[in-house]
Amino acid sequence: MLFALPVLLVFVVFSWGPILKGLVMSFQQTNLIDPVKWVGLENFRYVLTDPGVGQAALNTVWFTLLALLFGFPVPVLLAMFLSELRGRSWLYPTLAYLPVITPPVVAILLWRFFYDPSPSGMFNSILGSVGLGPFLWLDSPHSAMPSIVLEATWAGAGNAVIIYLAALTSVRADLYEAAELDGAGVVRRVWHVMLPHLRGVLLLMLLLQVIGTMQLFTEPLLFTGGGPQGSTMTILLLIYNYAFVNGDYGAATALSVLLALVLAVVSAVFQLATRGWSTE
Amino acid sequence: MNRFAIRCAAGLSVPFLLVACSSAPSSPADSSSGGQVTITVGDRPTSSDPANRAQYDQKVADFEKANPDIKLNPVETLWDPTTFQAQAAGGQLPDVLNVPFTEPQGMIARKQVADLTKVLKDDGLLSELNPNVLKIAQDQSGNVYAVPTAAYSVGLVYNRNLFTKAGLDPNKPPATWDEVRADAKAIAQKTGQAGYAQMTTNNTGGWMFTTQTYAFGGSIENADGSQAAFDDAPSKAALQALHEMKWVDKSMGQAVLYDIDGISKAFSAGKIGMYMSAPDAYRTLVNVNGLKASSFGIGPMPQQGGDHGTLSGGSVQIVSPSATDAEKAAAVKWIKFSYLNKYVDQSAAVTSAKNGVAGKLPVGVPGLPVIAADQWSTYQNWIKPYVNVPLDNFAPYTKVAADQKIIPEPPVKAQEVYAALDPVVQTVLGNQKADIPALLTKAAGTVNAKLGR
Repeated sequence: MLFALPVLLVFVVFSWGPILKGLVMSFQQTNLIDPVKWVGLENFRYVLTDPGVGQAALNTVWFTLLALLFGFPVPVLLAMFLSELRGRSWLYPTLAYLPVITPPVVAILLWRFFYDPSPSGMFNSILGSVGLGPFLWLDSPHSAMPSIVLEATWAGAGNAVIIYLAALTSVRADLYEAAELDGAGVVRRVWHVMLPHLRGVLLLMLLLQVIGTMQLFTEPLLFTGGGPQGSTMTILLLIYNYAFVNGDYGAATALSVLLALVLAVVSAVFQLATRGWSTE
Repeated sequence: MNRFAIRCAAGLSVPFLLVACSSAPSSPADSSSGGQVTITVGDRPTSSDPANRAQYDQKVADFEKANPDIKLNPVETLWDPTTFQAQAAGGQLPDVLNVPFTEPQGMIARKQVADLTKVLKDDGLLSELNPNVLKIAQDQSGNVYAVPTAAYSVGLVYNRNLFTKAGLDPNKPPATWDEVRADAKAIAQKTGQAGYAQMTTNNTGGWMFTTQTYAFGGSIENADGSQAAFDDAPSKAALQALHEMKWVDKSMGQAVLYDIDGISKAFSAGKIGMYMSAPDAYRTLVNVNGLKASSFGIGPMPQQGGDHGTLSGGSVQIVSPSATDAEKAAAVKWIKFSYLNKYVDQSAAVTSAKNGVAGKLPVGVPGLPVIAADQWSTYQNWIKPYVNVPLDNFAPYTKVAADQKIIPEPPVKAQEVYAALDPVVQTVLGNQKADIPALLTKAAGTVNAKLGR
């Protein structure tokens, strides 16, 4: 117990304490200088009637869905493909991992340059040479979120690939040999050997991805500031704006508490629904 | 999937950040004992800018020599919207900090700045400041919370090179919004670049829409800031003008999302003919982003249907709300010494101008007087030999700006109002079928809810 005390203290001071304090602040109005004023559920009433919150919630769910649809399968497929490659086994995972090394802010500013909506923009020039576009990318409310998903997938895939590859190395080689001897092609090897082994990791990564994507922040902040027409305003960006642009900490913590509640419910439902799936 | 993990951590740490800010205000560096006062002063240039840092440090040394009872503790803190709230709440603000004109009203409302009325009166500085500009730093009962040290009015920055290429007279920028539209169309047709562009993101959309509304004779909030006032004819006309330039004339290019940084880069790259900005944009455009000084032009804010006015911009010095009376008095002395002395003392003016030239900063950029007008023109004469910006290119602005009416920011929650107006401007520029009256009515509802909180 004595040995655990330092760790426990760190958790109390830097994790649980602030979480509790955040909960308390969601019932207060404060500028952090004057004495606090208790306002009951006023902050919750305010954020729930703010038309921006509804749109931000929809945008956040939209991003989560898009990221699941496109962002989730890409690293799985990439990892399976890489594990099939023989020779230079260090090279391809390294290449896949490279985008992760780029600092997010640098990557986003680079992509903002790529996404220049004029016909002379980089992506538009490339696509223009095969007769496509020009596209508005971030500057249209319809394509802004998919554009962000594209960048986020590029930036995040490397990490997931490494994890899936590690899981795949634990698959015994004789299983593949047995499958090959039984005449199984690539598709059947993936379906009957690889996927069952990845199941546990896949479920965990799915949950982490849902929690992570529902907290999308850096990309909309730097790419679009929540625009165009509020189409990339997410819950976390709104919390940030409440707190650090408007100085309204009550509203910021109230919305944080609501987001945490939603995530807790999603996680619990996910756990219940998938109980038993993760073991063979 | 570390990035996601980081995001999770970032999300969960919002309450943590807020708590980290909520410790009792204290500034250990500031103390006064035995008649000696120590204050922290912000805005010291970083070591990557050695010339300006050395000049700043010299100024600190000179000040301490002239005021032996005051000790300065210079820090590199700059105003930054992402950290200011936390610093203010945690008592970590320097005693003196430079902030832009858009900020003091919000800070006054949130009690994040010290009331300087008494010290300014005692010092005599209050009567020397230009009362029109001082309004930016006053609450509704006239108390003063900041000292304006540089002031500009928003005008129309234009690319003289593109004007010439389009067959327009580079010495005659548009004076009305009808002329803006005509010139933008000419630039787009003759050069293929966007004739006109406007900022739209991170609250700059609402900020510039406010300026445009003022130029069309409208206002954003009623006098006491309790109600939105933009759901009316001038705002509609302003948005209609944008809509026509974008969709009928096609003179605004494809890009819709611009913040200050984005529009400065695009303008400096020669992709934009005109945009609304103050003359201090010269430094960002020419010194930072490499626009040719000869291409820079600025005219006054174009007006529509009469002489209505424009929004002001610039910087003020604020003092930490936790400063004691002695620290406040010392802070005001430093503000005078560091920023205002040059306007009243010839040798200080010459030294400051020489330092500017040596530090490769623009010297002599025209602006609005922060002190009485006749003193201001005396100062302009003192620094004449050191001016390193093409004053002729500012001439269309300077001829008119002094007489153009200056209208302050909306009095209550300006930043929240701007945030609510960003999507309005983005929709007009992003959607050909935008319903302007409906957009304004909806935004007015949002703003009224915020003003009522």
